[in-house]
Amino acid sequence: MITATALRKEFQVSRRPPGLRAALASLLHRRTETVVAVDEVSFSIAEGERVGFLGPNGAGKTTTLKMLAGLLHPTRGQAEVGGFVPHRRERGFLCAITLVMGQKQQLIWDLPPSETFAMNRAIFDVPVREYKDALDELVTLLSLAPVLDKPTRQLSLGERMRCELAAALIHRPKVLFLDEPTIGLDVEMQLAIREFIRSYNQRHRATVMLTSHYMDDVVALCPRVIVIDGGKLLHDGDLRTLIKAKDPDKRVSCLVPRAVAEPDVMPQVAARLAGLGEVTLEGARLRLRLPESRLAEVIGILLSELRVSDLSIEDPPLEDVMRAMFRKPAASQEPARDASAEARE
Amino acid sequence: MTGERTLRVLAAQLRASVMTAMQYRANFLVSGLVALYWVAWNFLPLLILFGDRQMVAGWDYPSALVVVGYFVILRAVLEGIITPSFEDAISRIRNGSFDYVLLKPLDAMLLVSACKVEPWKALELLAGLGIFVHAFLELGRPPTPGAVALGVVMLLSGVVAMYSLWLAAVSLSFWAVRLDNLMYLLSAIFDVGRWPISVFRGAVRVVFTVVIPVAIMTTFPAMALLGRGDARTATGAIGGSALMLLGSRLLWRRAIAAYTSAS
Repeated sequence: MITATALRKEFQVSRRPPGLRAALASLLHRRTETVVAVDEVSFSIAEGERVGFLGPNGAGKTTTLKMLAGLLHPTRGQAEVGGFVPHRRERGFLCAITLVMGQKQQLIWDLPPSETFAMNRAIFDVPVREYKDALDELVTLLSLAPVLDKPTRQLSLGERMRCELAAALIHRPKVLFLDEPTIGLDVEMQLAIREFIRSYNQRHRATVMLTSHYMDDVVALCPRVIVIDGGKLLHDGDLRTLIKAKDPDKRVSCLVPRAVAEPDVMPQVAARLAGLGEVTLEGARLRLRLPESRLAEVIGILLSELRVSDLSIEDPPLEDVMRAMFRKPAASQEPARDASAEARE
Repeated sequence: MTGERTLRVLAAQLRASVMTAMQYRANFLVSGLVALYWVAWNFLPLLILFGDRQMVAGWDYPSALVVVGYFVILRAVLEGIITPSFEDAISRIRNGSFDYVLLKPLDAMLLVSACKVEPWKALELLAGLGIFVHAFLELGRPPTPGAVALGVVMLLSGVVAMYSLWLAAVSLSFWAVRLDNLMYLLSAIFDVGRWPISVFRGAVRVVFTVVIPVAIMTTFPAMALLGRGDARTATGAIGGSALMLLGSRLLWRRAIAAYTSAS
């Protein structure tokens, strides 16, 4: 459904030192340099897949999504989405895809969202019957009924984002490019949007490519992740495999009930577990980081000797894995910036 | 089918603009008053000029009124549709929400060209027609049907010429990002359109006929409606407008290809 082959995007970025003199000089002569935002990235995504697209700020995620959505012309390489070349922006292609950007809006600010939906119906030429079905479905799944007729400017951020999703999906696209769709939303709203994306994907067998800084979104929605940094592809594959490869240790958390009455028992507990894993104490809660091979032994100790309760065993948080992947030596830490934004200054 | 869809989108955009205008009642009423003020203001320079003379540069008062009529109509189109829509487009290019225009399965040029409409400007459009009626009553003769037909064609050609200039300005915004001032400059230049082109001499007249063809927009259509038009001028004006549209369209396409999309 989506194929990127050695996709590359370069931007011409103007540079000038700070200060008034440099600003005046730049009016006459502007120094520009070429910045590579996406560097020979290749991947392929099948119909109906949900893929997380991860990377730090300025990694090239949004630029890649924009090339796949036909907004930017690749400098080199090829993109193909649903059999179309995106930058040709053919009608069939634009009717088959959508791009939702958490930081931009298409809703008409002064009018209720229902007016934007009607406008998009006219633009996408959706037949009345199909429009009503799509709208009913979106209103139900996104709980939009109370906000449909309120002016957009009076909606909360969460309400607006749900309406943005509806406006982007009124033509029932088969490919969803979602760029930070939950940014700035509270946990409850993030959950609601996550559930909606999953449901839409299952109902319509839609292909979803998602970027998000909330790793919970990715963990909950995407069995597969593509990771890029500095415009280059770092990983493409199963999320669990990535986590295991980058950080194979398990995280164990439990409560030591005895410690509630006897707080000084915890150092003894820590001493008992020393050498088996990395131990952290937080009041009566005990946290352990240990290799999977030691798990059975440690769980035995915890349950039989220490009689712990509220025991949980988890994979490392994706945030930790990402942080470790993107950690760079101090000298090479270029300030991350979106080259497309710089190119326009 | 595409034409039908385009009309439906234009109707939806007009509807949204009218609803937006009515969303703020006080502003809606003030806009109406401003429109009436500008209609009245258009007569003042002419009344002063013809206050103590019969002819100016070969034009008598009623004939000059026909030029003003075209000027008022074109300015209504300019300030009612073209400027608000293109200002909106420039702002979208700057803040990146132009992405959503390019994601729509319709010609982006068409989508931005009439996305914002000022409904009160319809009043100025009617005022322009009223000025024609007044001018021909003063002249004491109605225009011939042939002159009306040519006058309408020339009006359309004037609108196309004006639209093309503004479209070129918007296209340049894709590279320069902030170029609102170019539109203000064009608006200021367009203001000379209230005068017949023969008022100007030498290089200035050439500039306003060929480079920034204000003459195509008001003087030539007025001459056609007054029955003074000739085939050569009409063909030149229509051909010139068509060329301008073609040039602007090509520039627009290059601009879209160079779009970098703000993050």
